[in-house]
Amino acid sequence: MPSVISIKNVTKEFKVLNRREGLKGSVKDLFSRDYKVVRAVDNISMDIEQGEIIGYLGPNGAGKSTTIKMMTGVLEPTSGEILVDNNVPYLNRTKNAQNIGVVFGQRSQLWWALPLIESFNILKDIYRIGDTEYNNMLEMYRSVADIEPLLHKPVRQMSLGQRTLSDILAAFLHDPKIVFLDEPTIGLDVSMKSKIRNLIHALNKEKNTTVILTTHDMGDVDALCRRIVIIDSGKMLYDNDIEHLKGFFGSYRTLKIRVDGDSSKSVEAVRKKLSGLSVSSDDEWISILVDEEKATVVDVLDKLRDAFNIRDMRLEEISTEEVIKKIYEEGV
Amino acid sequence: MNIKKYLALTRAGIMESLHFRLGTLVMTAGNLLYLIVVYFLWKSIFASSETEVVNGMTFTDTLIYLVLATALFGFMEMYTVWEMGRNIQSGKIVLDLLKPMEYRSYLFWSYSGSFVTNFFFTVLPTFIVVGIVTHGAIPFGINLLFFAVSVTLGVMINYSIDFIVGTICLYTESIWGINIMKQVIVLLLSGATVPIAFFPEPLKTVVYYLPFQSIYNAPLTLLLDVNPSSEAVLKTIGTQIIWCIVMTAVGKLFWKISLRQITVNGG
Repeated sequence: MPSVISIKNVTKEFKVLNRREGLKGSVKDLFSRDYKVVRAVDNISMDIEQGEIIGYLGPNGAGKSTTIKMMTGVLEPTSGEILVDNNVPYLNRTKNAQNIGVVFGQRSQLWWALPLIESFNILKDIYRIGDTEYNNMLEMYRSVADIEPLLHKPVRQMSLGQRTLSDILAAFLHDPKIVFLDEPTIGLDVSMKSKIRNLIHALNKEKNTTVILTTHDMGDVDALCRRIVIIDSGKMLYDNDIEHLKGFFGSYRTLKIRVDGDSSKSVEAVRKKLSGLSVSSDDEWISILVDEEKATVVDVLDKLRDAFNIRDMRLEEISTEEVIKKIYEEGV
Repeated sequence: MNIKKYLALTRAGIMESLHFRLGTLVMTAGNLLYLIVVYFLWKSIFASSETEVVNGMTFTDTLIYLVLATALFGFMEMYTVWEMGRNIQSGKIVLDLLKPMEYRSYLFWSYSGSFVTNFFFTVLPTFIVVGIVTHGAIPFGINLLFFAVSVTLGVMINYSIDFIVGTICLYTESIWGINIMKQVIVLLLSGATVPIAFFPEPLKTVVYYLPFQSIYNAPLTLLLDVNPSSEAVLKTIGTQIIWCIVMTAVGKLFWKISLRQITVNGG
């Protein structure tokens, strides 16, 4: 199957002015030619096929947005080659725009003062969507989400969740081949998150649209993505199935407990008791990283219950940040 | 060219500006206050001069000119610099750049709806009021056609200047000062605050070689001229066409270069 996006050895560097301190420094900066080069994206390659949902992960400032901006054509790569549906995005940005849809987390492309349906009508004309396609699309939207109450509501009166939902629908409206979703579930409550995930899943299935999803929420990734790509400091750390990653890290869980008595002493005691497991503490909580292939959480708890009086406990799944940290430390 | 996608933006603009009814009302009130100030200012200027006619214009001429200029200003001012500056600062410009049309056209047509509403809410009422109060100071005839053509050109020149200034915001990342400077220069040199007839001779010559007078002075002169010679009309509109082409070309080129700057170095 031919790839719809192909990225080959792409690097992006920014020139940043070295700012000096103080008032004097600020004045000097006005005339400064003292730039340093920051490499935001460093030699990244990947191929993405039609219909895939890719989870694009990495900590803040890793270069995710820069990569997406290069794919949309707003930024030109310093070196390397990007083809989006056989277009070089930054050379044919207007043409490329017809093929892609974007949702950038907190910003809305909708017309603020107007009801949602008007925004849709405007987009219909801007993207030159035919009447039949447009009506079919709205019909399909009705079947996958409850859009009726939204259609006649001005965008500025919508809640954040409703607006995100509307923005996602707007991005899919002209049936683009690729949709970029930059942190679409940020700041949403649990039920809205799940609605958004269902919607993305349905739209992807219905139209076979390629979705590139950046997020910090492992829940999004679990629910939607088969393949994930992780970058950090501009470098690609991982590009493979999520199953593969889970094989490495899915068996890890963090057990947090609170015990009676002086916590710093207890940490030492716990550490002695559970030799071989990584134990750390912050304030009152003692965190134990449990590899469930070796010992189940219940076993560990059993062991601890003999020696300590456990007041409270929590169980946490491994987070994206921890996954990245572990990949960084141990490799894949 | 598919005009439909542009008209969709016009339609959206009309709906949006109708949505902010109160804003239109407040703006009209503000213009009225401004006109009262203008009235008393020029009344005292004419009172302090010994003759009825100053620089070839009577008090009534001056007032009609300035009232119409104010109405025209309300019609033409597009706040492009604000819009661009804000979008650049907030980063929303990325979304606008990703529309399947040129940013320059997108911005223009997004605003164009306000031309329609402004025409019906400001320009037309003002003209009618001026017409009634002065018992026909605005001649009805072919001059209205010239005026319409001239205003269209004026709008295009004004937008091009705004767009050039807005592009500068890409580099400065500040809007306020630049916008104020632009506004003062344009309003003064275009003859929107003081009729160009009142300018001292050397400045008058300079102003005639600048694009600004093509925005307000040119259409107003064509409108108020009772017996326009075809030569004068041709000269005025010809000058406007030349400026329109020049400023559009400069604006497009400057934007193209600047946009390359952003795509290379990030926004």
